[in-house]
Amino acid sequence: MTSLTTGLKGRSELGVALLLGAAGVLVFLDANGLVTPYSKSDPVGPKTVPFIVAGMLVVCAVLLAVNVLRGGKGEAEGGEDVDLTHPADWKTVLPLAGAFILNILLIDWAGWVISGTVLFWGSVLALGSRRYVRDGLISVALSLLTFYGFYLGLGIALPAGLLEGIL
Amino acid sequence: MTVVVGYVPTPEGEAALTQAITEARKANSTLVLINSSKGEAAVDSRFAQEGDIQDIEQRLAGQGIEYLIKRPVRGHDAAAEVLDAAEEHNADLIVIGLRRRTPVGKLIMGSTSQRILLEADCPVLAVKAGR
Amino acid sequence: MDVWSSLMDGFATALTPMNFLYAVIGVVLGTAVGVLPGLGPAMTVALLLPVTYALEPTSAFIMFAGIYYGGMYGGSTTSILLNTPGESSSVVTAIEGNKMAKAGRAAQALATAAIGSFVAGTIGTALLAVCAPIVVKFAVSLGAPSYFAIMVLALLAVTAVLGSSRLRGFASLGLGLAIGLVGMDSVTGQRRLTFGQPLLADGLDIVVVAVAIFAVGEALWVAAHLRRTPLHAIPVGQPWMGKSDWKRSWKPWLRGTAFGFPFGALPAGGAEIPTFLSYVTEKRLSKHPEEFGKGAIEGVAGPEAANNAAAAGTLTPMLALGLPTNATAAVMLAAFTSYGIQPGPQLFESQGALVWALIASLFIGNLLLLLINLPLAPMWAKLLQLPRPYLYAGILFFATLGAYSVNLQAFDLVILLVLGALGFMMRRFGLPVLPLILGVILGPRIEGQLRKTLQLSAGDPAGLLSEPIAVGIYVIIGIILLWPFAYKLFRRNRPAHKPLVPANSGAADYSD
Repeated sequence: MTSLTTGLKGRSELGVALLLGAAGVLVFLDANGLVTPYSKSDPVGPKTVPFIVAGMLVVCAVLLAVNVLRGGKGEAEGGEDVDLTHPADWKTVLPLAGAFILNILLIDWAGWVISGTVLFWGSVLALGSRRYVRDGLISVALSLLTFYGFYLGLGIALPAGLLEGIL
Repeated sequence: MTVVVGYVPTPEGEAALTQAITEARKANSTLVLINSSKGEAAVDSRFAQEGDIQDIEQRLAGQGIEYLIKRPVRGHDAAAEVLDAAEEHNADLIVIGLRRRTPVGKLIMGSTSQRILLEADCPVLAVKAGR
Repeated sequence: MDVWSSLMDGFATALTPMNFLYAVIGVVLGTAVGVLPGLGPAMTVALLLPVTYALEPTSAFIMFAGIYYGGMYGGSTTSILLNTPGESSSVVTAIEGNKMAKAGRAAQALATAAIGSFVAGTIGTALLAVCAPIVVKFAVSLGAPSYFAIMVLALLAVTAVLGSSRLRGFASLGLGLAIGLVGMDSVTGQRRLTFGQPLLADGLDIVVVAVAIFAVGEALWVAAHLRRTPLHAIPVGQPWMGKSDWKRSWKPWLRGTAFGFPFGALPAGGAEIPTFLSYVTEKRLSKHPEEFGKGAIEGVAGPEAANNAAAAGTLTPMLALGLPTNATAAVMLAAFTSYGIQPGPQLFESQGALVWALIASLFIGNLLLLLINLPLAPMWAKLLQLPRPYLYAGILFFATLGAYSVNLQAFDLVILLVLGALGFMMRRFGLPVLPLILGVILGPRIEGQLRKTLQLSAGDPAGLLSEPIAVGIYVIIGIILLWPFAYKLFRRNRPAHKPLVPANSGAADYSD
């Protein structure tokens, strides 16, 4: 077990190969489960392309696994605000994802104005801003503005939720 | 003896630095210059350029003052950095620059200098830029 | 109708107050996102896709085109002042541009970039207006086999040529094609990859996929590696150029345009290769080769012209064939789909008024960009003081809003998060995102053409080769796929030869 874990250390990219392989198998099984009689007007049928895609995914998965085991490495993407010298900062990403999930849970019930406020305020906080009050005010303002902007400008009624009747 | 000065590349910051140099020479003390940034934005106009810092170093060395330049980027605001440095170096004096403000401006802004004035354990000298 | 009168009609449409307003909004937004780190034109157009529910198609596309061109202008500002090329197409601009700025010639660098972009953008748009109808005339005579071949070429070219790892490119393409499969099969009505989930029966909305990959994935990725230090910005004044700068700039502008347009129009040509070629050429032809590497104005003028001409070039296959060759064009194509407009050679026929108004708006947009970029450069540079937390929280906020407004169902947000996580993973492990997006958009259309082709030939695979154009394209595909092996052999024989193209076509970091 220990030799396996040390062998896998720093090879998290194998997870990508695993994901590709799993996706390939999934696409294959799904297409295989389709029942279609042969039809003259559609000789290709709905299965052919999924089979090709599945094959491509599995081949990529295998080649990628081989490539990684031989020491190949994907180049992480750089950018203007990206500092690759420090490792991934999960203390920022996880709260960010948390704010995002909270929004999903709240949006239909509490409405966009509340869930959007939670989303923006939580995100700003997660990203390291510490001006709680100012951030909160900006969040509320943004949510209200987009709520009315979408309603009046685009004719899209975002859910009012708990604030139904007030807004 | 130590003098801590909060420096920003503005007329107020220059005034503070000039005053701090005078104070440091008077008491023959060490000058600790703090120029910090929260590092939040891609560009922070209050964070001095490399060239400015070199000019200041030359100026201080030319005056024969013992000095220390600190440029912390740790996500803390400027007031916290100045207070931190004052405590760490047992400052006898903090020098800061004040902006001239309209009555309304006084209400909204100025929290950095206010916090230093309120929380510092040593005398604080606040100077304004010459008109 | 001839090109000239169509174009005049286009101007008439584009200059109506409403459309002109959207052109202004587009170029202002475009410049802003070009300057702002972390935001690019592809992401911005993706975030703005919800407007397609309310706006006239013409107004929406005029705005999107403004964002596209504006992003190109704005990108040069950050390359020059900050030495941080946000887009891979402005990497080369940063080399000489930042050196010029450090030597106190920021104003001239910005001026030659803006004026060069204007010259190249205008010539490029004129070429687009002339070339696109010719391509269309040729394309309408093509049948399903040729279309199938052309789309396969576009996919493979983008996947195999761009990016540093072909294997990872193909992995990304495979994922995109798989995502494109989700939903009801258009011919038989069979449900594929829906897992019994009725919400998936209509397929994944392209707006949700594009926003997830470009905006959510990017925001999460940047958040994980957020730079917490300020960069050294070079103070900027009003851009201007002296007489000698003009003299040294105009030829590179024209040569850059000549490199940029054809490369932009090719599938997988992109803007990286022509900017690089332009740089190399200017270095060779310059009367001041000793200045290269220390801030030569030709090294800014040429590549900047090349990348704007490439932007115009990219629109040629997009409008004439429905083939996107870069991320922004791909998202714009998604907008066509969102309007129920079928992209392809019929577009000039069925949506002639829209297309010509769009082309006319590009001329207008270019002029507007020159006007807002030259005098206002210092103001744009101020945008860089926006705190990063607000920027990235804002991206997430608007991404959520855009994806949710498609169907007003929270389920889409779950998909958004899942695909956003996929986008994060792809950036972490060096899988390029463009092949995925192209796979999602082109996949279903390729399948449609394949089935049509074999339907015509009654199931005989030889039907794929029934048109000479198709055969020719398969030969090209073969060359592209076999090229690296041939290149290896070639290098074995001449090991001292240096590759012309930078090894990493992503946004390299040239900061020192």
